[in-house]
Amino acid sequence: MSPIDQRLQAALDGEGDPGELPMDLRESYALLSAAAQMLKAMPPVSVASRVMTEIRQNPAPVQSAGPAHRLMHWLGGGRAVTVRLRPVWTLALAAGLATVLLVPWSNSLPTPGVAQGIANFVGHFPGARSVEVVGSFNDWSRGALALNDDDHDGIWHANAVLPAGPHEYMFVVDGERWVSDPLADHYVDDGFGAGQQNSLLIVRPASAQP
Amino acid sequence: MSWKLVLALALIARPAQLGAQDPPPAPPNGTTRLPGRVPAAALPAIDSLIAAAAAESLPTEPLVQKALEGSAKNIPADRLVNGVRRGLLQLRQARAILSHAVPGQTPPEGHVAAVAAALARGLSGPIVERLITVAPDEPPGPALHAAADLVAHRFDPDSAADLLVEAHNKGLRGVRLLDVAVAADHELQRPGGRTPSEALAHVRAMLPNVPTPARRP
Repeated sequence: MSPIDQRLQAALDGEGDPGELPMDLRESYALLSAAAQMLKAMPPVSVASRVMTEIRQNPAPVQSAGPAHRLMHWLGGGRAVTVRLRPVWTLALAAGLATVLLVPWSNSLPTPGVAQGIANFVGHFPGARSVEVVGSFNDWSRGALALNDDDHDGIWHANAVLPAGPHEYMFVVDGERWVSDPLADHYVDDGFGAGQQNSLLIVRPASAQP
Repeated sequence: MSWKLVLALALIARPAQLGAQDPPPAPPNGTTRLPGRVPAAALPAIDSLIAAAAAESLPTEPLVQKALEGSAKNIPADRLVNGVRRGLLQLRQARAILSHAVPGQTPPEGHVAAVAAALARGLSGPIVERLITVAPDEPPGPALHAAADLVAHRFDPDSAADLLVEAHNKGLRGVRLLDVAVAADHELQRPGGRTPSEALAHVRAMLPNVPTPARRP
């Protein structure tokens, strides 16, 4: 930086009379004074303040966001999440996951194997206290497959995974009344000489079921 | 162990648990399942019928099932024994039909049981034999059940067999043959009324593209 003349500095600081300056310094004084006036006239504008000014002058359209919109916005936005768990909480989380994922659900139907299919049993027995299905797939054993009527509309139903192929069966209502399935696709005489017919279900392999 | 590792292990373990289906346990020998369930008065006779079937290399499981069924239904002992005896006679007839249809081969037990079941459903020996002859190496159950369905719905047995033979010749196999019977029954019940022969002709015209019936919900 070149040093400024002491007389010119004094004149710019108002400590000296500009009229007493030599001619070459008067010209410099005039230029510097004009520049100083210009700086005084301009507001102090930084880049940030200019950007903010621009934003205020052209605001983005604002929608009235409801709670759901704000939630979606929050969920959709990227943000860093750091989870720090103590070892005891890690073990508790593991136990919870194991319970949920490894213990079979009582109401879920197992996935049929290659040579298995899903059988749907449905019967309309209004007023019945219990309905079960007994057949060749469970050695004609009582209590092996109960139908449910959770909404008490008289329509009892159950699903089961059975080996693919034919199965004879009957419904047992209230533990004593043997009834053929009125919705069965097939029937076959049970061969005991009283003309009673078993229902016949032909289970298709799961891969062949529509 | 980090929580990420625990989560990964749990997610890996779950599909393995879902996919692992224990096969149904093989039924124990028939006679060991009968005591305690079959009335004592009927047990010796039923045991001897089952022993006779085993001695003739006939399947015994259908007889065991018949005995268990009759016992569960509280069928009187004499009728229970008769029911099992009738089953044995059908097994013998079934093997005779198979031996006649496919000479020189020992029929598989599953084929014998399937033919016996078809006879129990009322199919005649000649119809059964005709359907077996068309596909002697294939399990006969689906074709026989399809024929039994058609006959049960009052279609002419010979015409029903003709349709199933044609369906087989056009590539339909296994449970798809059951769809042929379902389609014929649907045509028969269509509003406006078709005669059985018209219904069969209509299904024959659509072969092999018979619809697959929707599963019961």
